[in-house]
Amino acid sequence: MLPIDAAAHSSRWRRRHPVDKAVLGLGLTALAISLPPWPGAALVLAAALALLLGPAGVPPRKLWRAYRIPLGFCVTGALTLLVQVGGPEGYVGWADGGAARAGELLLRTSAASLGVLLLAFTTPLSDLLPRLVRAGVPAPVVDVALVTYRMSFLLLDSMSRVRQAQAARLGHTTRAATWRSLAGLGATAFVRAFDRASRLQAGLAGRGYDGTLHVLVPDVRVSRRFVALSLALLLALTALTLVLERLLP
Amino acid sequence: MHIAEGFLPPAHAIAWGVAATPFVVQGVRSLTREVREHPESTLLLGASGAFTFVLSALKIPSVTGSCSHPTGTGLGAILFRPPIMAVLGTITLLFQALLLAHGGLTTLGANVFSMAIVGPWAGYAVYRLLKRYDVPLMVAVFFGAFVADLSTYCVTSVQLALAFPDPGSGFPGALAKFGSIFAVTQIPLAVSEGLLTVLVMRLLVQSSKGELTRLGVLLQRGRQASAPRSETEAKA
Repeated sequence: MLPIDAAAHSSRWRRRHPVDKAVLGLGLTALAISLPPWPGAALVLAAALALLLGPAGVPPRKLWRAYRIPLGFCVTGALTLLVQVGGPEGYVGWADGGAARAGELLLRTSAASLGVLLLAFTTPLSDLLPRLVRAGVPAPVVDVALVTYRMSFLLLDSMSRVRQAQAARLGHTTRAATWRSLAGLGATAFVRAFDRASRLQAGLAGRGYDGTLHVLVPDVRVSRRFVALSLALLLALTALTLVLERLLP
Repeated sequence: MHIAEGFLPPAHAIAWGVAATPFVVQGVRSLTREVREHPESTLLLGASGAFTFVLSALKIPSVTGSCSHPTGTGLGAILFRPPIMAVLGTITLLFQALLLAHGGLTTLGANVFSMAIVGPWAGYAVYRLLKRYDVPLMVAVFFGAFVADLSTYCVTSVQLALAFPDPGSGFPGALAKFGSIFAVTQIPLAVSEGLLTVLVMRLLVQSSKGELTRLGVLLQRGRQASAPRSETEAKA
């Protein structure tokens, strides 16, 4: 199991309905990209961080391990705004106001990432996917996504074992050996994926498979109180941004 | 590299989502038709999705000495065809955003457009073109994967340049800026992905002839390679 999904399965908010968490997490993300980065995205970032580490109970170390990946992309992307092509300084020079634009972009992306991480760290995909049918996604697509989700972990586990076996046979000692090992890994993934699919098909056929995968979904209801509080928080953040925008330099 | 969460302004994020929608809807329709006619396809398509997800998790050595992961769009398009890849790619990108914090939900449309639509279609077009001129399978596979990878990053450069035009020279300057950054890393990576795809395909030809024939990649007796795999696709 991947670290974010493992954390989601043991989250304090696991028993909450995905709609509750989607309103809050995706609402924060929407605010992060639509409000002015300063002070809007900064407020969203602070609120998302407080929710993740406080009520949602996400361990700081796990959050940092997941957050540093998008943060790395955000920093790399923001750096490009520091320079401009052409102008009086030659082919490449420092962009006027580049640092401010890079800072704003960094605020916006890091706040938006935390909003999605709030949803990801509290909602396992196995809770989310079956409910997508109600949101209008065709059932066959959801079924394919469910099989993909469940099979991905088996394949990743399988790949990890194959990689260990290859390393034990000195399969990564030279560049040529590394390429051979990687090719073997890719081909093995294909063969095992199709082998598992055919075995799963045989097993399900024996149980009267009619083309629909029935899975148990935890019986939880949308909490009106939680949704109302989430909307109140989003409104408060918007109002605070509009007020602070006039007061702050 | 996927465009990170929140990186694009809202108008751009929505516009790329709208641009990607018809292709994904077409893919969903063909997938739904396939599953309704052949219920067992659900498992095969799920396995294909898992394979695409796992493939994108493989670390490949780059010529520049760094390490990156293949997009898998070229191999996916050759094996499963671009319409199906639009759906599988969307599922994979959604999983990457929620399970790996890689990419994002607001940038899903833009990432789907580059990685699940343009990449597979460009790679598949080159692959089919070369096959039509009787170029050996492995050469066609190499160029298919190379073009799929490179075109993905060209589109990503355009998306970023449109969102962040250069203050001095506008869109062309920004395109040169993002394009040159990607060129340093992505041309070697596209070559690497092409080579890896050839090696994977060689092993598959040896070990999984049956599946490759069923998928229409290899010749079947009395049937042309890359012909539609099912009656559904033939009708479509």
